[in-house]
Amino acid sequence: MNMLEIKNLRKRFGNTEVLKGVNLSLEKGEVLSIIGSSGGGKTTLLRCLNFLETADSGEIIVGGKSVYCATEGEKPVVTPEAQLSFGLVFQQFNLFPQYSVIDNLMLAPKLRAKRMSKSGKHESQEEILARAEELLTTVGLRDKRDNYPCELSGGQQQRVAIARALMLSPEILCFDEPTSALDPELTGEVLRVIRSLKDSERTMIIVTHEMEFARHVSDKVIFITDGVIAEAGTPEEIFEHPKTKKLQAFLSHTKNDQDFT
Amino acid sequence: MNQFIDITLDLLNGFSYTLTIFFVTLLLALPLGLIIAFGSMAKFKPLSALTRGIVWIIRGTPLMLQLLVVFYGPGLIMGQILMTEPTAVYLTFTINYACYFSEIYRGGIESISRGQYEAGKVLGMTKSEIFFKVILLQVVKRIIPPMSNEVITLVKDTSLARVIGYYELIYFAQRYQKNAGLLWPLFYTAIYYLVFTALLTFLFRWLEKKLDYFKA
Repeated sequence: MNMLEIKNLRKRFGNTEVLKGVNLSLEKGEVLSIIGSSGGGKTTLLRCLNFLETADSGEIIVGGKSVYCATEGEKPVVTPEAQLSFGLVFQQFNLFPQYSVIDNLMLAPKLRAKRMSKSGKHESQEEILARAEELLTTVGLRDKRDNYPCELSGGQQQRVAIARALMLSPEILCFDEPTSALDPELTGEVLRVIRSLKDSERTMIIVTHEMEFARHVSDKVIFITDGVIAEAGTPEEIFEHPKTKKLQAFLSHTKNDQDFT
Repeated sequence: MNQFIDITLDLLNGFSYTLTIFFVTLLLALPLGLIIAFGSMAKFKPLSALTRGIVWIIRGTPLMLQLLVVFYGPGLIMGQILMTEPTAVYLTFTINYACYFSEIYRGGIESISRGQYEAGKVLGMTKSEIFFKVILLQVVKRIIPPMSNEVITLVKDTSLARVIGYYELIYFAQRYQKNAGLLWPLFYTAIYYLVFTALLTFLFRWLEKKLDYFKA
């Protein structure tokens, strides 16, 4: 069964149609990389999945359950469950500066437990703390638990952000160019963490400019340009045998860039 | 010497009126300012236009004039004075300062990056949780310097209360000038203001230090 199914997703900003009907499916544990030039719609697609933008029309189905279904002129209300089906790691980390690392992880789950305490079943403070410490160990930052974000390097901040997103146990974890704001020597540690998540069978969607990384970590790659999926396939198909002219041009540009560095 | 002590104590009594105006205004204007800030940022255009219009009028006219209008205005229209002097003072000062505070709040709130709201949203937090648990403290940290300016101005603006005949420090000091021909008590009041603003300056420094543990 598909973990995620996206049907005919459309989004326009004013007169510009940014997503012109995107269809996509992903199985549990699969890793999807989205590549494409800036302004092509890849970040908008990710933001629509996380409901930071609301798609104008189309349907999002997670684990066989429709979590969002909009028709032209009618947008549904996003339920908390729908919101929490997806997690997002931002390009700029967006940690909460006034909270220590461990509190960054625990803030949202604690508030959620407080909200749910009215309706009965909820996670206890001890369980939340135990899970937070476990996740910090997973991302290799157990010893930074009491530090503040401003005391961490960019790479460490991004690893905290990944752990924070995992605290809400999303079905699908999304990354929006997770290494673009990092110094080159810091990208490795973040990519290693993402790779380790793949080994633990986590379903992930990664918008990235790191072609080498996309090639190695993904099960599927899609190339988005002008608001549509121009090409989709396995990493081998996309990177070794690109069919469309646009993808060939895009790949040769990025290759040239890499030769420079 | 006895006279000096007597006058010092009498002025201290006058200063207690000053302090009351100061604290009542602060207590009411701080939350009211936040409400006005939300009003001026409202997506509903008529509300934000109305709020910004009020802020313009309040910030665009002298506080002294506002005191006179609030206290004597109802009398002109309805033939009787509606409220006592202290009520008029508290009301006018509160509205006036809330308008100034609202602009400081608005600047602070709008300076927080959108990413902070978005991070809260994707973590399933509600709008009010995001505001109170994530945004507010960052806003407070950023607005401390402009707020300390405004609060120190308030200490001295309290002296305007005397235009409608309400007591405060300078009112007390001027009685010595009128009744006994003594001018020095009036100059002496400066010490009271200076000591109090020094305390406030320390308080704001301490607060700034206290929030120094994070960068926002």
